[in-house]
Amino acid sequence: MRKSILCLLIVALTSVAAIAATPTVVFDQVATKVTAAPSALLNPDNLWITLEDLKRATGFVVKPQGICRGELCFPIPKARRNAFLSKQGRVTWFNLSEFARLTKQPAAMDKENALWYFGPRPAEQNGYVESLIAPDFTLPDINGQKHSLSDYRGKKVLLITWASW
Amino acid sequence: MIVSVAQDTGGVRDAGKWITAASPEYTVLIDDQHSVTRLYNMVNVPTGVWINEKGRIVRPNEVAYVDNRYKGMHGIDASEYLDAVRDWVAKGESSTYVLSESEMRQRLAPQNPDWSLAAAEFGLAEYLYHEGKVREAIPHYKEAQRLNPDNWNYKRQAWALSDAEKDYGTSFMKEVQKLQGKPYYPPRQLKKGDKQN
Repeated sequence: MRKSILCLLIVALTSVAAIAATPTVVFDQVATKVTAAPSALLNPDNLWITLEDLKRATGFVVKPQGICRGELCFPIPKARRNAFLSKQGRVTWFNLSEFARLTKQPAAMDKENALWYFGPRPAEQNGYVESLIAPDFTLPDINGQKHSLSDYRGKKVLLITWASW
Repeated sequence: MIVSVAQDTGGVRDAGKWITAASPEYTVLIDDQHSVTRLYNMVNVPTGVWINEKGRIVRPNEVAYVDNRYKGMHGIDASEYLDAVRDWVAKGESSTYVLSESEMRQRLAPQNPDWSLAAAEFGLAEYLYHEGKVREAIPHYKEAQRLNPDNWNYKRQAWALSDAEKDYGTSFMKEVQKLQGKPYYPPRQLKKGDKQN
């Protein structure tokens, strides 16, 4: 009996630890460790982060007009403000998952690793379909030297992808 | 100017020996996060894109074999593509192979929400793989494949990093056989108005 209770306790503590582990946010392909939310906000469907972590991990900040990065601002629906912002003690927390749903940004999550991956929004991704300007990228060659597609502006470029597999 | 980009999660470890063996005189880059696949919404290799001097796309994604070593498998003749490239190099915007804006837009497939989510799942899998969490990456590779089943890059890259039979219950050849005559590559429309080439 005592052994069963001990086992249950270990299982419970392990699952809390899995959720409460320091989350990692990958945003614009850059990984940032963020502070774990208090237990009241722990939820597998919602990642709550501090406003400081929001700025650090995504570049977005909360302004009176909405959630902004540079010229880009997404207003928060007034009726649903509590779904985005929550004050716990002295700290204000921001629901990054709800923000992704608002902006139609795809998000994938791995619970065991407390890892949240936010990909580019389809509207952002589809910009080149309208402009027809080739999306720029910067990648290394075999010696680690970086090259950008835009380095070759002024020349015709035949871009070809291949793989070893 | 040729810019060749390896779509290889294993980076130099997997792509390096091929680059060294080819000893190319053109630019070869290594993309261990499949960024170009995502940015250009590519689904297979080799994929070619023509970009003019102003950085504007004048021919979007299409199969771009430059020799016939695999012609027996897919039936695509490389010489027609190479002739088209030479024509563009010589004639520029007046080449018959340079597409109009309207034809370009007809050929460019915008991302849909499932493909965007597939790209996020694939990105997460790539992150886990690079962190050494190879087994934990597999469910996310599978989810990317489920969400965007026409993307062979998602399938073939994941299978190559694993034991495909054991971890995914399949193999490249088995999946090709499942096509049952449907072309592995989308038919190439080399000339304006071509239905297939």
